[in-house]
Amino acid sequence: MVQLLKKVPELTLLIALTIIAYIVIEVAGKVGTEPAIGAFSSIDLIVISFVMSTAIAIIAVIAGVGGGVIFTPIMLAFTSIDTLIIRSTGLVVAMFSGLVSTGPFMRRGLADVKLVFFGAVPIIVGGLGGAFAAIIMASYMGKEGDAIVRLLLGITLVLIALLFIFGGSNTEYPRPRKVDALGQRLRLRNTYWEVSLHERIRYRAVNVKLGGFLFFFVGFTGGFFGLGGGWAVVPVLNLVMAVPLKVSAASSGVLLAMGNAAAIWPYITVGALIGVVAAPWMLGQVIGGIIGAHILASIKAAFVRNLLITLLLLTSVKLITRGLESLLKIDIPIF
Amino acid sequence: MAKFKRSLIPIAGVVYGDIIYWITILASVLVLVGTVETFFSTTNTIPPAYLLSSVLEGKSVSQIWQGSPFRAIPHGHWYLDILPTGEGLSTSGLALGVFGVIPAIFASAYFLWRSHNVFFAFLAVVSGLITITSMLGVIPLPIG
Repeated sequence: MVQLLKKVPELTLLIALTIIAYIVIEVAGKVGTEPAIGAFSSIDLIVISFVMSTAIAIIAVIAGVGGGVIFTPIMLAFTSIDTLIIRSTGLVVAMFSGLVSTGPFMRRGLADVKLVFFGAVPIIVGGLGGAFAAIIMASYMGKEGDAIVRLLLGITLVLIALLFIFGGSNTEYPRPRKVDALGQRLRLRNTYWEVSLHERIRYRAVNVKLGGFLFFFVGFTGGFFGLGGGWAVVPVLNLVMAVPLKVSAASSGVLLAMGNAAAIWPYITVGALIGVVAAPWMLGQVIGGIIGAHILASIKAAFVRNLLITLLLLTSVKLITRGLESLLKIDIPIF
Repeated sequence: MAKFKRSLIPIAGVVYGDIIYWITILASVLVLVGTVETFFSTTNTIPPAYLLSSVLEGKSVSQIWQGSPFRAIPHGHWYLDILPTGEGLSTSGLALGVFGVIPAIFASAYFLWRSHNVFFAFLAVVSGLITITSMLGVIPLPIG
């Protein structure tokens, strides 16, 4: 950590400024000092939000899933905050760690700019289609249709997690046996320096057409459910397109940040993004995002894989639970 | 790719990453200044205690804004009108961070085009245009 702070002076400065600012407002703040929830004042809540956000960002960047996958279910489950505000703040959580980690990832060659732009358009367009489809489906099938698709999505995530588990270390540095014609023509290939192995890893993307279609599908489901695409971009890049796991995780974070940057503006322009609420979450994401990006470069790919499997299984449990609860009209007391 | 920066890292990616990185850092500082201003100024346009308590009570977006001095949901880039206030600075910082993607995309598109990756340059421009239309409110993009 000390080495990281020396290497990234802007991170040191930002952490120092943030700590000083929060200490100053805790000690000498003129407003928001009265208790808001229990014994916690508004200022306390801001500081707690910042600490939580930093922890979420580190985990999210390492796994390449976007913090929204962790933040949104927790907030929806444990607070009574309006869903629109949770979703808008969730987008901030989902995107800012990805935005700030874009710099270190690109400089190290961990994120692939061509893969990012290849996935961006289908994800954004798919998201638009998903949002329209959600409106149409809601008017025909109501909550039952929503529950069925949630359930199916949860099962799909379990299957993806199982693929990662039984795929073993092949998923960390996949070696495709075939050559993809479209991938060759688009020159979707690159190399990166794997710090943990001290060697250069070469890769080339395969199943490019299928990957493009799946990005559209990921965007579609993200727009349909408001899930974001974090749960599926890494599996598409790694399992389908044979991109090394670390490059998949880094490119996923960059890609999601770009997609969410388009999606968040409607929230901002209708006042659904409350600055004082979102600010500590944004700062936590920026600081945690830089730390996570530097950790990802040096840790073993197996750790990323295990973390991703855990997150996929947790998200799938949440989705299956919500699907069953809506379909069977029962309450399942799981997180 | 024809243009590389150290260890075969594409310059289009480095340019994209660096623009976003530094704009995000700048945006963070703005958000931090906004937060300090929020809790120090006694003349905020929207009292922070009101905003936080309303959000925590589960009030809807329209209820929150109707109870504020705005008296209605704001539209467009409303935060620029209250820029000197804590809420204005914080929201402007967030918006600046989000905006940073747009110049980064077009700069990256230029370097992709220069390095004969015309297809990816085209995809980058399309992504940038979609983001701009979202910022301007032309297309109701998926929210969430």
